[in-house]
Amino acid sequence: MANGFDRRSFLKGAALTAAAIGTQLVQAAPVRAEGGEEDSKAAAPKDKVVKRPGSDFMVDVIKATGIEYIASNPGSSFRSLHESIVNYGGNKKPEFLTCMHEESSVAMCHGYAKAAGKPMGMLAHGTVGLQHATMAVYNAWCDRVPIMMFAGNFLDADKRRPGVEWYHCVQDPAAIHRDFTKWDDQPVSLQHFAESVMRAYKIATLPPMGPVLITADGDLAEEAVHDEKRLKIPKLTMSIPSQGDSAAVAEAAKLLLAAEHPVILADRASRSQEGMTRLVELAEALNAPVCDIGGRMNFPTTHYLNRTDDKRALVQEADVVLMLEVADPWGQFNSISDPHHEYRRLAKADVKIIHISVAESLTKSNYQDMQRFMPVDLAIFGDAQTTLPALTERVKSGMSSNQRVAIGDRVKKLQTDYRRMKERARAAAAVGWDVTPVSTARLSTHLWNVVKNEEKWCMAVSGMQWNKNLWPAKEYYNFIGSSGGSGVGYGAPAAVGAALANRDKGIFTMTIQNDGDLMYGPGVLWTAAHHKIPILIVMHNNRAYHQEVMHLQKMAGLHNRTMDRAAIGTTIENPNIDFAKLASSLGLVSEGPITDPAKVEPAIQRAYAAVKRGEPALVDVVTQGR
Amino acid sequence: MRLKILILMLLCAAPVLAQEKDKAPAGSAENGHKVYMKYMCYTCHGTVGQGADRGTGPKLAPTPVSFATFQAQLRTPRQDMPPYRKEFVSDQELADMYAYLLSIKPSPAAKDLPLPNF
Repeated sequence: MANGFDRRSFLKGAALTAAAIGTQLVQAAPVRAEGGEEDSKAAAPKDKVVKRPGSDFMVDVIKATGIEYIASNPGSSFRSLHESIVNYGGNKKPEFLTCMHEESSVAMCHGYAKAAGKPMGMLAHGTVGLQHATMAVYNAWCDRVPIMMFAGNFLDADKRRPGVEWYHCVQDPAAIHRDFTKWDDQPVSLQHFAESVMRAYKIATLPPMGPVLITADGDLAEEAVHDEKRLKIPKLTMSIPSQGDSAAVAEAAKLLLAAEHPVILADRASRSQEGMTRLVELAEALNAPVCDIGGRMNFPTTHYLNRTDDKRALVQEADVVLMLEVADPWGQFNSISDPHHEYRRLAKADVKIIHISVAESLTKSNYQDMQRFMPVDLAIFGDAQTTLPALTERVKSGMSSNQRVAIGDRVKKLQTDYRRMKERARAAAAVGWDVTPVSTARLSTHLWNVVKNEEKWCMAVSGMQWNKNLWPAKEYYNFIGSSGGSGVGYGAPAAVGAALANRDKGIFTMTIQNDGDLMYGPGVLWTAAHHKIPILIVMHNNRAYHQEVMHLQKMAGLHNRTMDRAAIGTTIENPNIDFAKLASSLGLVSEGPITDPAKVEPAIQRAYAAVKRGEPALVDVVTQGR
Repeated sequence: MRLKILILMLLCAAPVLAQEKDKAPAGSAENGHKVYMKYMCYTCHGTVGQGADRGTGPKLAPTPVSFATFQAQLRTPRQDMPPYRKEFVSDQELADMYAYLLSIKPSPAAKDLPLPNF
């Protein structure tokens, strides 16, 4: 601070000696001081300009990581960094994206990271901004998704303005997030900032990935850089994810080869198309059915070994199960009924279980996202995608001629079972076809029929299983997986974040958006319109929090009370929300509300045309509950 | 599994649907629809008993399970469904709901719809 610029003195016209200003400050037009002209002459120096603020260097550091976007709702604690991004940095790589809530900022980062395969940044007040952001950060944490979070703060109490600035300052900005972030730091020098940002980026992106938080101190950002020659931005070299132990991998191969009914459960197994390719290769080598739990896009829906919809039956008859980065291992083999908590085993008692995962290296105590402890027969610590080639190689090289025949003999039945599974899905989708409100299967079908000629498409966010059961998805980018923590409010901003990444890749993005979820933060629609992020949003507007209806009814049943009042507190009616008007007011092309199933596809078609022109568009469809 | 059992029961029930109609107590489909909606059965089973995505609610119609099975499931349900006890849902309302399920017309066949097929 000795050689820097005190922002309070700028605001109040307080005196600074020329010597204290130092070489980083240059003279500019004089400013009238608070005390009038005479006081000004007596007490205030001429106006000063910080030629090279610390925030410029911070932008250099951020640029060095390759971060292309920073989502933020503007705030005074990071105003210098904001200004440096847009002016010094030219508002390119990173580009400042205006968000209307920090939860939206983080959820956009979440969706972006999964679609782009790399993190983007968010910037928030170290206090009120991070408090707003928490739920979305928790989702990203549970989903093991990297996010680069930056928080503004003025640590030095001596320099704070009285009033709001004190409310917006904090000793330890990351404290509120520390239970569900992978790492954080509060650098006290620019060199410290450079090194911590590089460290944070590496930590965030090494599996198991997760959000990280760096505090960008406001004084450090606003004051002039001094001793620039000493500052160095460290080289960013990414760590290679670890492969499972070779002997353990060989043991896993033996177990799988000896199995008559092997099953593969994949959750957060793949990080890229390469991950999918590797899993297909292993599954084909074993002729083992794969159930894609859906944390990531793991396996083509068109492949005869994709038996996701038959998971329960397959696990029940399995003699060996290979789990690949499964978030809830216990839940794959056991269940507890609700509300009576009756335990049920879903698998054979002697099923052999292998789990390849790095989850145990990132487990904290407070939040219980680690799920119930699951004893397994072979626990391999390693990144699933990285370990798969070695496992496949071991399977192929260790296969006896008898095993080769037995494995080959499984093909015909597996192909038949796959076709039956698909026929069942289509038959189920047909039931209630003409009903109003529109059936969810029909909604999914019409959307597919509109977009099916897209060479590259992404269904960014949708809890609707129909899309996976009915749509032919072969590419990693077709689905980005779920929210992780099931915190409501994820859908719209995550989809917009994915659409942002996909816009740059030429991938058409759509989402099926729940009504209750959108109302947590509809402002993100404005963000999509303002930044020209093309996305087709089709509302699954069932006018209720339908899952909660059942919970209320269960409790009424448990308490021996009537169940006809379950709509209280669970429905979103009276008045009905007009999502088309809402979207229109936020700058989107919109259609609806549509209740007639016959009108759904034409409306989606019109909205699709707008998205192809580069605009976001929303179609409000009033739907069945689920 | 629950869904599978119910599907199996539905398949078994189909050939004897006419007999089940005869065995079920007389009911008003119109009132049954009202009761069905009042108790928000559509939340999990759809407004025409079509069932729901992700197996959250099994398909109920057309061709519902026998009335005896239907009654047993509502009064003393297995798994996650809450009980609809006599003091809140009368036997007649149960019969009306069943009549409503019986009245639901089959949907078009999947092969006649523009469903994705790969």
